[in-house]
Amino acid sequence: MNCDDSRIYLPAYLDDELDVAESLRVQKHLAECGDCQQDQDEQLILRSALRDPDLRAHPSVDFSNRIEAAVRRAANDEARSRRSWRFEFLRLESFRWLPAVAVLLVVTMVGAFVITNSLRSSHQQLIANAVLAGHIRSLQPNHLIDVPSSDRHTVKPWFQGRLDFSPPVPDLSELGWMLIGGRLDYVDGRSVAVIVYQRRMHNINVFLWPNHGSADDAIRQQEAQGYQILHWNGAEMTYWVVSDLNNSELLEFARALRGH
Amino acid sequence: MTSQEKLRRFEEQISPHLKSAYNLAKWLTRSHEDAEDVVQEAFLRAFSAFDGFRGEDAQPQNAKAKAWLLTIVRNTSMTWLKRNRNAGSTLGFEEALDDPRERSADPEEILLISCDREQVRRALEQLPPDFREAIVLREMEGLSYREISATVGVPLGTVMSRLSRGRDWLRRILSSPRPVEPEEGAALR
Repeated sequence: MNCDDSRIYLPAYLDDELDVAESLRVQKHLAECGDCQQDQDEQLILRSALRDPDLRAHPSVDFSNRIEAAVRRAANDEARSRRSWRFEFLRLESFRWLPAVAVLLVVTMVGAFVITNSLRSSHQQLIANAVLAGHIRSLQPNHLIDVPSSDRHTVKPWFQGRLDFSPPVPDLSELGWMLIGGRLDYVDGRSVAVIVYQRRMHNINVFLWPNHGSADDAIRQQEAQGYQILHWNGAEMTYWVVSDLNNSELLEFARALRGH
Repeated sequence: MTSQEKLRRFEEQISPHLKSAYNLAKWLTRSHEDAEDVVQEAFLRAFSAFDGFRGEDAQPQNAKAKAWLLTIVRNTSMTWLKRNRNAGSTLGFEEALDDPRERSADPEEILLISCDREQVRRALEQLPPDFREAIVLREMEGLSYREISATVGVPLGTVMSRLSRGRDWLRRILSSPRPVEPEEGAALR
């Protein structure tokens, strides 16, 4: 690690936001470099100045009491409105409303059935859109990879502790698909792994997360905004592959990945 | 959950973070009165939204509750600032941090930084809001980068760069030989 790296990593090091390996590298550099050590000293002086309890703004006792009272008032208002709701309901003494409720129930159930069915197919489309958006976002400067490495033994362990599953990171370099790194993304309401491969400067983003449904291994394709999107459900993982690579090459890539 | 039960849980989990809420609001609005109004509004919002509060499972309950409340305080402050005064857009702050002194100051010459509390306070008050907010959340409230990123609603990388540039700026101000004139601070806003 040189001084430029150290200057970049030092704040995160002092904030305890680096992993052990990175911390050790910073420590090692600090032990060797007087300038960076001084940088660290100044950061620490500033930090303790900013953490001075007297620098904080303190609410007055009077204000704290006012807030407590306001919250209790809100709780009372809420309780009162809930009670009045109950009474409204009980005041309907006769049961004339029963048929109406029955009709409503049937309509709701039919509606729910139709909606869940159409939701299921549009859910896939939503994921496809999210994955595509993730791909396009990743092409913006500095968004592509969090862990830049062509070594699967670096990329795979990087996900440990960042995800609740361990994504497979196969080495496909012999087939001409270079691993260039990985990152995290958020798709379908969960954190997912993204493995990034490259061929002839075309980036391929592989989004994957555990598959809880059934596995079918059939690769489905679609094209959107000039990008190819491939998707299949493996035995353990759900895969979404996005790239601007041509269709047949990307399919070849997907087969290579699926075969691993 | 009955209203009584909800109140009890709210007072147990959220109310203890009133001090943090006020501190954040005060540093964001830079006004005692505004801070009190913001905190009151934020607490009422928090109470009505409390049924839906779960937070991320990985965090301990206490940190979770604090980050949750501070997110509401932060959003309320922003709305408040926009509504009650023309706070100006946040555009241009990034550029504003490129103080001319940055180019002239030789890092070798900066040896000591002033730690007089009033000077630190003034320097922090002059820091553009985006940077001030990140530093207050990190140094005073002890939030992790991830929590700050969620609270402010910006990517992790932005949090890191705001913290690091904000601190560099503070160091420059606090080590600069001449006092910062108020007009200079005003120009930053």
